[in-house]
Amino acid sequence: MSKAIEAKGLVKRYQTKKRYGFFKSKVEVVEALRGVSFTVNYGEIVGLLGPNGAGKTTTIKILSTLLLPDEGEAYVAGYNVVKEPSEVRKHIGLMLTVERGFYGKLTGRENLEYFAALYGLEREYVKKRIDYLIKLLELDKLGGDYKLFEEFSLGMRARLSLARALLSNAPVLLLDEPTLGLDPPSARRIRELVKNLAHEEKKAVLYTTHNMFEAEIVCDKILLINKGVIVASGTPGELKAKLPKLKVLILSLHGQSVENLQRTLSDLGLKHEISSELNIHTVRIHVQRPEDIFNDLVKKLVSSGFELLSARIEEPTLEDVFIYFSEGYL
Amino acid sequence: MSIFDLMRAEYILIYAETIRRKSELVLMILYPYLFTGFVLLLGYSAGSLEVFKSRIGVNPAIFMATASFTVMSLMIGVDDVLWRPLWDMWIGTLPYLIASPVDKFKLFTIMPLPRATLIVLLGFTSLLPLYILQYGLSGVILVLLVTILIVIGVFTMIPLGVLLAGLIHSIGESWRILSVVRPIIMVLLGAYYPRFYMPLVAKLLSYTIPPSHIVESVQRVLVGLVDQWLLVLIAASIFLTALYTPPSRASLKFWEKRKVSEGVKIS
Repeated sequence: MSKAIEAKGLVKRYQTKKRYGFFKSKVEVVEALRGVSFTVNYGEIVGLLGPNGAGKTTTIKILSTLLLPDEGEAYVAGYNVVKEPSEVRKHIGLMLTVERGFYGKLTGRENLEYFAALYGLEREYVKKRIDYLIKLLELDKLGGDYKLFEEFSLGMRARLSLARALLSNAPVLLLDEPTLGLDPPSARRIRELVKNLAHEEKKAVLYTTHNMFEAEIVCDKILLINKGVIVASGTPGELKAKLPKLKVLILSLHGQSVENLQRTLSDLGLKHEISSELNIHTVRIHVQRPEDIFNDLVKKLVSSGFELLSARIEEPTLEDVFIYFSEGYL
Repeated sequence: MSIFDLMRAEYILIYAETIRRKSELVLMILYPYLFTGFVLLLGYSAGSLEVFKSRIGVNPAIFMATASFTVMSLMIGVDDVLWRPLWDMWIGTLPYLIASPVDKFKLFTIMPLPRATLIVLLGFTSLLPLYILQYGLSGVILVLLVTILIVIGVFTMIPLGVLLAGLIHSIGESWRILSVVRPIIMVLLGAYYPRFYMPLVAKLLSYTIPPSHIVESVQRVLVGLVDQWLLVLIAASIFLTALYTPPSRASLKFWEKRKVSEGVKIS
């Protein structure tokens, strides 16, 4: 498979001003990207995963020619993003924020026609393509043909935004959090479409999200980015296999305080996470062989005054992987 | 890429924004009348009709209505180009414009045309009865001549608008600068305050604005000075436009480069 996107050691620094009162300020340099390298092949969905401020949007901006890197190189469809931005722009479909980015007084169709004109597409092709996309994204059923964009719901806006990214039938799609804020049916529809575009139409998709569940079901390959560095990469399965402890023991307990539970687990030397709701505590413990510790653990908890409501063993999630690689513990 | 498709898209966008936004449509129709009325009221209360006629040589109502029409039409060439990047930034469409392969100079040159067409048509229909009342049937020819000159003026204003847009938007807080630059251009055009009454510095600056020569030619038409000097003024205006075109293209490229180096805001 050929490389649709290739990033080599991307570095981006931003200058921010720290203000002290009205007149004093100090310029600080923040490194948004610190040597990011990866590739995306045609027919592949690569998820760029990370928390807010990790560098996902900065990467998308560089690849879409909206930002210049300070160091490193990036190629999209074989074109250098700094030296050949016009060529890059012809080969990308871009989806940024879903709630804005269209003209409010134009209908969905008119908006698509406007952006098609910016891409210099033939009028006959545009008409057919817009008809196809409106049907594909079911915008026709929602009134996307005659409703003004300002009257669109968030779900409709997201669909229109994806339609715009697909207008020129570009081989590379850069989708920045395409399901952010969407209701589950709309989010599912978008995810299905993206999978279809990559696997059936052989488009290369770079998909940023901070939704681990979504990344797991959509992406063929995942890049975990944190503080401007890719901390791990691979398929969801490969990433989970990289965890030193492979199982998650989940217990539901009640009867004592969180502090008490915290103390009991620490005494046993177990790395854990606790969430509490209505006096019921859910504990997630990462261990190699849960069956080895289960009996002793339950005995200790019961003797400390806890009542065990339920217990189950799960495979680690991508979230566990992310916490492990970004924060170094589980 | 067909430039006509791009023009068609811009026309649909601007007409939808104008016609579907009722307040803007009403304001657009009323504005020249309100402006003329205000200027005339001010003129009548502060000065004398006879003094105006003796100094300018034209009925003040005709002069002011024509001046309003001229300024409104010509300023579109600056306004639509200067404000558009800000508007696109506010509504979130700017990243998509920049990340599209469209020739930005072509796009910016086309931007003012839809609104200018609307204003020119509105101006023509509102001036026509006034001219017929004042000049009889020859007023029709006169208003046609004035309209043609103004259309040329709009085209000659665009490169200057693009040049300023590129430079101003490369600086932060550009909307503040715009609110200063716009009235200065408006005054220097000489539509309300003819150039030959301006102080020397203002006069010299006025000569550098391409459509100011068109404004002068409109004023000459109004006082009946239709001679070869008219052609010289038009030629001067076109010459300046040609002169401004390469730097305006460069300025737009500079703006785009600047935007991309600091990062186009996307939210």
